[in-house]
Amino acid sequence: MIQKAVMLCLGMALSLSTLSAQQCDLVLRGKVLHLENNQPIEAAYVWLPESSIGVATDANGNFTFRNLCPGKKTIQITFIGHKEIKQSIQLSAGTSNLTFKMEEEAVALSGVEVHGHREAVQTTTAVSTLYGEALLQSRGESLGESLKRVAGVTTFSTGNTISKPVIHGLHSNRILILNNGIRLEGQQWGAEHAPEIDPFLADELTVIKGAETVRYGPEAMGGVILVNPPALPTTDQSKTELNLVGHSNGRAGNVAVSHSGGSNIIKGLGYRIQGAARRAGNVRTPQYFQGNTGMSEVSGSAALGYSSTKLGTEVYYSYFTTQLGILRDSHTGNLSDLLEIIENGAPFTQADFTYTINNPKQVVTHHLAKVKAHYHLNPSWKLNFQYGFQQNNRQEFDRRRGDLNARPSLDLELFTNTAELFLEHNLKSQWTGSMGLNLIQQANSNLPGTGVTPLIPNYDLVNAGVYLMEKYLKGPLELEAGLRYDYRTLSAARYIGNDLQEANLNYQNGSAFLGGMYQLNANLAFTSNLGTAWRPPNVNELFSQGLHHGAAAVELGDADLTSEKSLKWVNSLEYETKRTSIELTGYTNKIQDYIYLNPTGETFVSLRGTFNVYEYLQADAFFYGFDLSGTYNFSDHFKGYAKGSIIRAKNTETNRYFPFIPSDRMDWGLSYEFGKDTERQNRLTLSQVLVAQQSREPDFDLAPAPPAYSLVNVGFSKKIQLFKHDFSVSMQVNNLLNTEFKEYMNRFRYFTADMGRNFQLKLNYQF
Amino acid sequence: MKNLRKVSLYLLALMVFGFASCKSEDPTQENDGEVITDVTLKFQELNASNALVGSVLSFKASDPQGIEVGKTPTIQSISLAKGKKYQMTIEVTNAIKGEDITQEILTEAAAHQFFFLGQVFDSSFFSIQYADAGGVALGLKTIVTVSSSTGTNNSNMRVVLRHDLNKSFPGASSPTFANFAQAGGETDLDLTFPVILN
Repeated sequence: MIQKAVMLCLGMALSLSTLSAQQCDLVLRGKVLHLENNQPIEAAYVWLPESSIGVATDANGNFTFRNLCPGKKTIQITFIGHKEIKQSIQLSAGTSNLTFKMEEEAVALSGVEVHGHREAVQTTTAVSTLYGEALLQSRGESLGESLKRVAGVTTFSTGNTISKPVIHGLHSNRILILNNGIRLEGQQWGAEHAPEIDPFLADELTVIKGAETVRYGPEAMGGVILVNPPALPTTDQSKTELNLVGHSNGRAGNVAVSHSGGSNIIKGLGYRIQGAARRAGNVRTPQYFQGNTGMSEVSGSAALGYSSTKLGTEVYYSYFTTQLGILRDSHTGNLSDLLEIIENGAPFTQADFTYTINNPKQVVTHHLAKVKAHYHLNPSWKLNFQYGFQQNNRQEFDRRRGDLNARPSLDLELFTNTAELFLEHNLKSQWTGSMGLNLIQQANSNLPGTGVTPLIPNYDLVNAGVYLMEKYLKGPLELEAGLRYDYRTLSAARYIGNDLQEANLNYQNGSAFLGGMYQLNANLAFTSNLGTAWRPPNVNELFSQGLHHGAAAVELGDADLTSEKSLKWVNSLEYETKRTSIELTGYTNKIQDYIYLNPTGETFVSLRGTFNVYEYLQADAFFYGFDLSGTYNFSDHFKGYAKGSIIRAKNTETNRYFPFIPSDRMDWGLSYEFGKDTERQNRLTLSQVLVAQQSREPDFDLAPAPPAYSLVNVGFSKKIQLFKHDFSVSMQVNNLLNTEFKEYMNRFRYFTADMGRNFQLKLNYQF
Repeated sequence: MKNLRKVSLYLLALMVFGFASCKSEDPTQENDGEVITDVTLKFQELNASNALVGSVLSFKASDPQGIEVGKTPTIQSISLAKGKKYQMTIEVTNAIKGEDITQEILTEAAAHQFFFLGQVFDSSFFSIQYADAGGVALGLKTIVTVSSSTGTNNSNMRVVLRHDLNKSFPGASSPTFANFAQAGGETDLDLTFPVILN
């Protein structure tokens, strides 16, 4: 039923996009970029003297003039610290698309602004960014939860505290997360291992939906998530932001502070410090508390940067630590325990509210430090260097007897070094591009003393890559292509009982992409990107052997697995008018030798009872799907939005479905803005989330897919001036009707219903 | 230019340091701590005045490698006489580490409990009571009464050890509580002994 509704609504939203061609209405679109680094310039002023109209560029450097008459026009672009552009253009029928590159002023005038050097995403594939108001709405949520706001992104979660982003059906090691430009390297292979990052450090979360292996290295098969902090100030200006978030469900509290400033003594020197803390207790479903689902988290980051006209440097450090309680009843002793609780559909343990976190639990700490520098060899060529160091410690505690209870059953320490050297060019002609070298070194150790044979071995990994990318930009057309070659070695060792197990493995692969963007007319743009990606098998897929505690499963790795290779084709159509904006993305992803955990159907008997046996297998897979998102302004006050996504994934060898592929879903909402002055500072929102039942289930699952569900959320936000600064208050109620539901993509659907009604209060003050 | 050289030198030094320190540890042997390799049920006859008489009968279930795929545990048949009353004690050990887990279970009596199920109870061949010291419902020591008239000589008994359960859950005070899962917790042992009645 809901599935039908999803389809219907998607269809309706599509039909809204009927184009209306108007007579003699010319449109001029353009993009303003920094010549030296191709980054968009925000707030450059674009002026048409003949028509006496002007606009400022947006965050992506874009500007649009509408309703222009044909003829010769002068265009004038100014931006502080840059040479003015004055150009004559001929406007004829349709749309004109122009790109302007502004050169920095060589003369050091007083008050010249040295701009921050922030990396902008330059890609022709589908990109969605969460920032500003939308990001503010998501404050206090984990990275995975926040990104659910992007069409095509869902989560693969383990209860309410652990959620991993899923892009177009792929997650874990098949997507990449970049913390300020450095690949986040934790123990991402585990389904219950959440990314070690707090979105509070970012002022922008970007999702790239294409296969971006060439740019970012292996494993970026499903997509890339960029968690970007704001650019460092380069002038003597300071900004402080304070966030307070409270949730009724779990009685969670969240505080986050960030402060950035620039030096007035040393021009171009800027800094930023940021910290956040979060505490939550047991989560409540509509009927009961989930025992031991509290969490606590502390994170922070600091950055110091110096920018001069030619040199830009940045030192960055981020810290993240969390303690996560795992639902007590999800940790089962054997298969009959597991089946009993699945049949019960709810935990047996009656829990009350508490903040106390007992075993089973996870304690994870992540340090990331990076140094970055770039040097402008000349206005067209730039040399970049980036080095990152990461340390990840993961401890997982089970319920154990005696002294062992205080000792982790899994105690991993992972060091990662990443180094990148690349040369970018941005020629005054239409060509831009980069070439570079990329090195990843990783060392994983099991810390002794767990009293458990390690799930994965100790290993050393080195990955070296070289790449080349080139982009051609002319008017409405952008074309881009790239090539990359990677070589990886892996040497692993571990004791199983008294036997030393060793393995030395090598993998190598080439990858390539070709992409383009074409502005069809004033309102319609088309992008297409075809990219190959590869992913070497992960250590757990190669070497798992033994009992997965709590999951009542014995998992068997296979050291002979080969690399996965994928070919992803993403197409997207963007339509934008004053009232309507629609984005439709369609993709196919053909993955050769897709690695998956297959139930063998066998059981294994021990003194502890019976366990299911799973093994890692490879098969060819085919994924395809659509994402649709759109907004429509009914009036100045009244807005509506809808978005949805559909994914299909099949094992093309057996023609069967894979487990844990998101079901069809959509959400839509209405907002009404009102207020005394023109700024309309009050906003009322109503939204509904519709999730269909996953009818494409694999042959084996412990429990059938949960039924479809619908959730209603309401919110009210108000912006006021407090001591002459922006203060915003927002109140949201999620799951207003306290609907009991289970989400197919939540591994805890076997044990418990999902979160019930949750009142949220969010305060944000910027000064 | 001079600055640049200095900066790049620092960076290089940092990188060399970082990469050099990045080497995994040599693997160490880990003795699985919580593994149970042997479960021994010991029966000794009780006479009419509840005094222990006769010799101790031991029946053992063992899995020398603990939990290891491809190996199945060996379980001896329990052989008892009809119409007699026995005191049953359970010993649990980890032979790999030479650990006596019985003592640990006793120490954590509040979080552990044995349940006894299977055909011997379903068909009322056996009746059982907890007889642990201090009156706790634990099951390391029990009194088993074998019926004098059983329809068959071959039967079975299932022994389950639960950890972390709610011992005051309604029904959980009975050693033959079949819905033990509802009391919460997880299973540490779940094995079925063949029973021969003479």
